[in-house]
Amino acid sequence: MQLQNKTPKTHRRLLGQAAWQCGVIFVLAISIGASVNQFRNNGLPVFAHRSMRTSLKTPSGARLDISLTEAKKLFLQHAAVFIDARPKKDFEKGHIKGAKSLPWHDVDQQFIAVTENIPDNATIITYCDGQACELSRHLANFLIDAGFLHVRILLNGWTKWRDAHLPAEQKDDK
Amino acid sequence: MINKKNISRFIDTGARWILGVVFIYASYDKLFHPQAFADIIYHYQILPDRLINVTAIFLPWLELLTGIFLMIGFWMPGTIIWCNFLLVVYIGALSFNLARGLDIDCGCFSVAGGRSINIETILWDVVFLALSIYLFIVVFGSKSGEGTK
Repeated sequence: MQLQNKTPKTHRRLLGQAAWQCGVIFVLAISIGASVNQFRNNGLPVFAHRSMRTSLKTPSGARLDISLTEAKKLFLQHAAVFIDARPKKDFEKGHIKGAKSLPWHDVDQQFIAVTENIPDNATIITYCDGQACELSRHLANFLIDAGFLHVRILLNGWTKWRDAHLPAEQKDDK
Repeated sequence: MINKKNISRFIDTGARWILGVVFIYASYDKLFHPQAFADIIYHYQILPDRLINVTAIFLPWLELLTGIFLMIGFWMPGTIIWCNFLLVVYIGALSFNLARGLDIDCGCFSVAGGRSINIETILWDVVFLALSIYLFIVVFGSKSGEGTK
């Protein structure tokens, strides 16, 4: 291939092209997106207040999140099953004492084995780690769809539990 | 006949198609599930609340346009700048949240969940960015500027 250096004039032309093309692509994306959003059934309000707690509701409006205090009370009464939605390696590093591991990534493979002894009406508390604990929310919704009646989510569960020095099983303990 | 020009054209086209397919594939699920995509953006905890839905509305279309234009080699100067910009933003957002320990879904190619952010997702984006930088050099660098129309 015969290479040839671009002249300053060519570079200026290219930069000019890049500038207006970037602008047009951006405007096109905004225009198409806004138009489709306007006419689709599941369109979004353009500006909306969001919070983690408002997204943690069942379709019927029941709250899914549970406070640490309430979770602790259920734990001490042995009235809830805790299920850890994090990957197995994180579970093995440390988890709520007695919790079962059901990694969201392997839920299809492990669901039956992990939940076969849990009654449908048992209180199940899912948790993972981090402020935006997506894995536990997905797992909770999955369990609700599977027929479990009382599923809750302990947001940022592992960090909250550990920081409160509640009973846990950690690798260092072994 | 195989010569340097053909090899170079083959590599350029291959890079454009790979990135094009990646961007189109990345946009697909988000286009059909804007609410789920907005939730994912929200969980990244980077954008202010009022920009989350706006971003969820237009970003998939920006990805789709970028992908299509890459594949057909259309408006390459502008397209390759968007391509580089988006990949840098994605790598920055993923790295930032991985560094602060957020356990959230990547949302890279699917909004269905099940794939947390991790070093692998960042490395894939770095590979795509390398391809994108190569195309940037092809378009703006010292080569003859084929495919820049």
